[in-house]
Amino acid sequence: MPLLIRNFRTSFYTDEGVARAVDGVSLTVSPGETLGVVGESGCGKSVTALSILRLVRPPGKIEPGSTIELDGQDVLALDDAALRHVRGNRIAMVFQEPMTALNPVLTVGEQIAEVVRVHEPRASRQEAWDRAVDMLDRMGIPGAADRAHHYPHELSGGTRQRVMIAMALVMNPAVLIADEPTTALDVTVQAQILELLADLQRRLGMAVLLITHDLGVVAGVATRVAVMYAGEIVEEASVGDFFARPHHPYATGLLHAMPRLGARRERLEVIPGAVPSPTAWPDGCRFRARCQFAWERCATEHPPLYHVTSEHTSRCHLAVEPERRGSANGPQRSRLGDRASV
Amino acid sequence: MAGLVVLAAVVVTAAAAPLLAPYDPNAQLDIVALKDQAPSLAHPFGTDPLSRDVLSRVLVGGRVSLAAAVLAVAIATTVGAAYGAISGYAGGKVDSIMMRVVDACLAVPRVLLLIAVLALWGRVALGPLILVLGLTGWFGVSRIVRAEVMALKTRDWVAAARALGAGPGRTLFRHIIPNVISPVIVSATLAVANIITLEAGLSFLGLGVQPPQASWGSIMQDGAGEVRALWWLSVFPGLAILVTVMAVNAVGDGLRAVVVAKDS
Repeated sequence: MPLLIRNFRTSFYTDEGVARAVDGVSLTVSPGETLGVVGESGCGKSVTALSILRLVRPPGKIEPGSTIELDGQDVLALDDAALRHVRGNRIAMVFQEPMTALNPVLTVGEQIAEVVRVHEPRASRQEAWDRAVDMLDRMGIPGAADRAHHYPHELSGGTRQRVMIAMALVMNPAVLIADEPTTALDVTVQAQILELLADLQRRLGMAVLLITHDLGVVAGVATRVAVMYAGEIVEEASVGDFFARPHHPYATGLLHAMPRLGARRERLEVIPGAVPSPTAWPDGCRFRARCQFAWERCATEHPPLYHVTSEHTSRCHLAVEPERRGSANGPQRSRLGDRASV
Repeated sequence: MAGLVVLAAVVVTAAAAPLLAPYDPNAQLDIVALKDQAPSLAHPFGTDPLSRDVLSRVLVGGRVSLAAAVLAVAIATTVGAAYGAISGYAGGKVDSIMMRVVDACLAVPRVLLLIAVLALWGRVALGPLILVLGLTGWFGVSRIVRAEVMALKTRDWVAAARALGAGPGRTLFRHIIPNVISPVIVSATLAVANIITLEAGLSFLGLGVQPPQASWGSIMQDGAGEVRALWWLSVFPGLAILVTVMAVNAVGDGLRAVVVAKDS
């Protein structure tokens, strides 16, 4: 059980107030497992990823009481040197934008070799370079020895993302955090990168935390799904269970907003409204203003994570009052294009 | 491009000055017969009140002027870049304090500061003069570098480097500073032109390069008492300064255009 996150909170102390971007998130990622964290922009999923490596910059702050354990070791208690040892070595991260996440003035080979030299100061320049080339080769980049001498701007988006993955995996980490690793890529390249990630995971037995807004990506590579909304996990289940029996109205809304192959030609549904501001999360259920089932209880009582089954949790009072699902009286989901503005 | 050609010519001439100079620049050729000679074939730029050949002095003085300017800028740029990088990367209170110090230093007019320091010091050797010029010239560079570093430190590759275990020193020196080099080179080039004129001005006031050593400013100083009669003592070093500074500025502007074009 390498990565354990408990009751995690990250807040940003801004002039407009305290933005509680991550507000009590608990997650577990085990070796050989891919946990897909899904949610729309601003739900706190990227901040969660950065917080795990303690990369949030002021005014962002990880709140006391938060826990991150890596193989039983408290990551939040580590001093700077020990933390640097964890970063890149035991927990590595792949960023969203391969265009901007590589240093423009270093060749890609140097950037990968750099990671080796950070963690193994005794490795010679040549050894580090050889490992960089080897890594590029394992990423399926043709002519790796030659490509290592290229600068990022000379490479395609897909190749750059492979370089990013090579940088992340060169130290053979136990946990890989991938923040929207394919969002900036063409669909065909997306598929190749996801396949590469899945293949590497099988061979290396890593735990992968995959952050995405794309349920298609989750369906393709994740073993479990956690849905985030307004700084909280609102539903967590195995992939099969989630797509067959989504429980939280937000999760069902997300699924209905996704185009499906083979479905009768119909307009996509949209979830009305927008994510509330993190400086003022509403009382009670944070989704209730956008929920078609919302009733009085949702306004007064903040729902806990209910167990729908032993492996499936949902932060919705429907779990204890399922008959309410029959009576939709809140804002209705609309079909895309029904309204002038979406 | 023309600026680059002219500048190259100036630099080569200065470098080869001892070979090109027809006379020893500090030799008094004949204090009675050859003082204050107007330009002639034997002395194209004339001679000064101590009967020294002005052409030789302009050539060799160019070496001093250029070398002093380049070294002073090197000092200013190194100090300013390091200071600005640390200030920008640290941010917060450290940054506020460090930048208020720069503001305070910039509030003092540089020429007045230099005159005060050099006048108090008395006769200054060339080395300390360069040091003083450098240490009073880094404020602007530090502001440029700070601004660039503040912008760069939020870039994804910096976060990526930190995420993969790079410490603050490595992040700053390997992932941020190399990306600041181009605006720094532009500013340094333009600063060279500035320091050439500054050094000439100080030497003209008698505070810079000390006799008998020649620099473009000190040659003008030699004829300062009788500018109308001994016009060649002002015109030729003045032209040398004009041509060099214009060439350096043209090169600086050209570099700036290249940098801007690359960024957009």
